[in-house]
Amino acid sequence: MIEIKYFGAVAEKTKREFEKIPFSEIALQDLLQDIEEKYQLESLSFSVAVNQKIVQKATAYKLISNDVVALLPPFAGG
Amino acid sequence: MMLLPYYLLLPEDKNSCMNTTDRYNRQMILPEIGEQGQDKLAQSKVLVIGAGGLGAAVLPYLAAAGVGEIGIIDHDVIEISNLHRQVIYKSDAVGAYKAEEAKLMLTALNPLVKVNSFTEKLAANNAIKLFENYDIIVDATDSIAIKYLINDACIVTNKPMVYGSIFRFQGQVSVFNYQNGPTYRCLYPNENTEAQTCTDAGVIGITVGIIGMLQANEVLKMILGIGEVLSGKILVYNILNNEQQKYDFDKNETPAITQETFEKQYLKTEKLIEEIRFDLVLDEIDSDEVLFLDVRNEDETPKIVLKNNIRIPLSDLENEINKLDKNKTIYVFCQSGVRSKTAAELLLKQQFKVKSIIGGALEMKKILETKVIT
Repeated sequence: MIEIKYFGAVAEKTKREFEKIPFSEIALQDLLQDIEEKYQLESLSFSVAVNQKIVQKATAYKLISNDVVALLPPFAGG
Repeated sequence: MMLLPYYLLLPEDKNSCMNTTDRYNRQMILPEIGEQGQDKLAQSKVLVIGAGGLGAAVLPYLAAAGVGEIGIIDHDVIEISNLHRQVIYKSDAVGAYKAEEAKLMLTALNPLVKVNSFTEKLAANNAIKLFENYDIIVDATDSIAIKYLINDACIVTNKPMVYGSIFRFQGQVSVFNYQNGPTYRCLYPNENTEAQTCTDAGVIGITVGIIGMLQANEVLKMILGIGEVLSGKILVYNILNNEQQKYDFDKNETPAITQETFEKQYLKTEKLIEEIRFDLVLDEIDSDEVLFLDVRNEDETPKIVLKNNIRIPLSDLENEINKLDKNKTIYVFCQSGVRSKTAAELLLKQQFKVKSIIGGALEMKKILETKVIT
């Protein structure tokens, strides 16, 4: 299982704050592409964290079971 | 032992409000603060950018704690729709400058604190000079573009930036550029970002209150040298389920920002984007020479219907730019006038004649309603 957490405007689009997907291994980039297509996130910008740490280069990152991914868009309200 | 409220125990001496030992006693008896810590607070200078929801929470806590000098910069005036969350303002202050009202409030709260108010807009041409006079910069603004400007000016002047921001019931807090630590650009490298503000997305006072107080807390920790500063970490808080998480991030290897690159990047576009009040374009409202471009999303209200208007959400603008006629003057608007400036910048780069409408659809609706009546 890999868990994905959604925040801010991203959670508005996905209409959920988290979900679990039954993969034991997947490239982070592939997972992100799936999510972006499924929820049409292309207009949103966000940073991606794995296990509470922002990943600067998603291209080479392999996820394994029990990893927790978070999509963190910038907020603007104040 | 103390059964009477604190204020009843104060001596009746008229100068008692100037008595620092009594005023700060309850924080000075904390071993982490003491007389030394109180001196550090008194010698500190903090600039708060934005006296809206976040600022209204940050400011009184800094003043009450005895931060020696506080700067407030905000060009807005108080509106009735601000009062539910900007709790330092009274109803009869509607129409007054926020920076000036906040100064009055803080001075009454703690006359020992020197408060400087600036009713101008923070921009590239005043940021660096202003930041140089302070030790810590607090970002209590509601615009992504301004956050990049603050971040970059903090790098140029070598000041820490205390970031706070909210989206509906969630908030983010972090400290950037602290002792040469990671910056806003390390967390969010993609500058061409659009995010909804409070005006666009809605907000309750508690959310900005909590996040603003967490920002004030980071300020005090830095001044006092206690605890762990949120540097290289972003705290995300959800007030609906009380979950909070911290995410770590590293410093990016990006080109250094210097005074020279700063001026090059900002002073150019700042001069170019023209903003205009809607009441000044009313004469052109039925003209075929102009086009009113609404860059809000499809579901955003109030609907503004004019003779020549078109809606292209900002996120689609780049792809649908060919729907626009380069021979016409384009008046671009969004909900409150923030996103429209991003759109104007984009159109400007493509050689359109464009002006951004100040205050957006909310302001336009007000003006259109009065127009019908008169």
